[in-house]
Amino acid sequence: MTSAIERLDATAEVPEEAYEVEIIDMDFHVNPMESELQRYVENEVVLDRLSTEFGMTPIPDKWDAAYAIKEGNEGLFTQGRAEYPDDVRKACEPLAIDEPVVNAGINGLPQQHHPVLKNAVLQAGNDYMLDQFADDGFATALSLPKWDVDYALDELDRWGDESNVVGAYSWYDPREPWGATMFDPIFEKLVDLDLPLLLHGSLAFWPQHSYVGDNMLTWTEILGFDWPYHSMVNTVNMIMTGVFDDFPELKVVFQEGGHWWLPFARYRMDEFYEMHPEDVKITPRKLAAGEPYLERSPSEYLRDNVFVCTQPMALPRNASEAREMLRLSMAADTFCYSSDWPHQTLDPPTWFFTNRAFIDDQETRDAILHGNAREILRL
Amino acid sequence: MSANDDATAANGFRKVAEVDEIPTGRGIGVDVGGIEIAVFNADGEFYAIANRCAHQQAPLCKAGETKINADHTWTKTRGGVNVEEKSVSCPWHLWSWDLETATHAASGKRIGHFDCRVEDGDVLVRI
Repeated sequence: MTSAIERLDATAEVPEEAYEVEIIDMDFHVNPMESELQRYVENEVVLDRLSTEFGMTPIPDKWDAAYAIKEGNEGLFTQGRAEYPDDVRKACEPLAIDEPVVNAGINGLPQQHHPVLKNAVLQAGNDYMLDQFADDGFATALSLPKWDVDYALDELDRWGDESNVVGAYSWYDPREPWGATMFDPIFEKLVDLDLPLLLHGSLAFWPQHSYVGDNMLTWTEILGFDWPYHSMVNTVNMIMTGVFDDFPELKVVFQEGGHWWLPFARYRMDEFYEMHPEDVKITPRKLAAGEPYLERSPSEYLRDNVFVCTQPMALPRNASEAREMLRLSMAADTFCYSSDWPHQTLDPPTWFFTNRAFIDDQETRDAILHGNAREILRL
Repeated sequence: MSANDDATAANGFRKVAEVDEIPTGRGIGVDVGGIEIAVFNADGEFYAIANRCAHQQAPLCKAGETKINADHTWTKTRGGVNVEEKSVSCPWHLWSWDLETATHAASGKRIGHFDCRVEDGDVLVRI
């Protein structure tokens, strides 16, 4: 007796069980063509400049690790290029993603120096996403200019209460962590609007532009470890300067900054703070409030106010090791699934259906795939 | 595929496709008794390896699929078959698999590799 030979399903790329669980993707990049974005630039003077050969101010991109990748800089488009809603639907179907949180992903913007051009491109990107995606029912994250707090507030006034805008998207970096009090008006408005702050890694801070220096040379060093350290110092800075005491309802999501550093930060923050808590009273917010200490242990803010995206999951294959890492990371309270489509670091949700750490713990699986996202996004 | 196509051939080889069903530089995925196999055409030479990449279980048979809005990207396909090197790069993360040995050089990992031959216009695979 011979067994059957069948052609495989031409559509599905992930285990069929993935289609039985709601999957919210916290970081799905839309990449409109430059010519299309220009249609949304409102300022004619700026548009004139952007339409010439000069365009945005050219700044050397130190993405030199890409030379050894088969697709070079096209690693940014390994899966393709989603420009319109049907493109996103087509991309999500084989990966069983039900609800992609789309963003315009103009991650090179912080790298530019010209404040007027930066704001104009950011505005165009937001209007493009509103017009093409939010109005079509997509959960959409619109961008905030970290470099211009007043303009960020103007943007929030403009679209903060629009339907289907589920979060505000900005960037983290090592130079000016988000704990600075200049960002308090943004935090206040985000809380009022019930929007989380989604912070993505920025191309402005590859090694030659960062405090790490010039000797980070490989993909593993640059992509694997530069952004995680930025995420970690931003997290610790926000917690220790009392951001979450002043804004306890604020939710912050770090995208592409890794997630397995949480146990390290969790225990190290508490250890250092409990040993030497006295300098907290002279940080700006605590000094203004006349409070000597944080209201809670640092790790409690990490659990309640900070979220991290899982792409790439990089889960240990041994289930008991994976289970323990998830527990120590407080993953059921802190992890949010993200695909990072269409980049080469794409992370389809296979881990959740192939590793016993999740097969045996569907509560944690569901929290990561949709529960935490539903808690913090304005869906 | 009809029941007649599923007949067991001599030496355990079984038909999985006709030659013209697999264009050069592409592959197909077939389930043979619960085993997923990807069969590739590298410029007229056919290879059969396990369909799932050892990295994250991506379906290798999709290597070479045209990207969304491919005209607005540099390379047009998600991974693909390198007919000169006899290798296939994964559609998700571009892990490169040697089609003759089913190995990934950087990690040393191996996946299933199956005998494959062409006979009378049919592509045959032996598990």
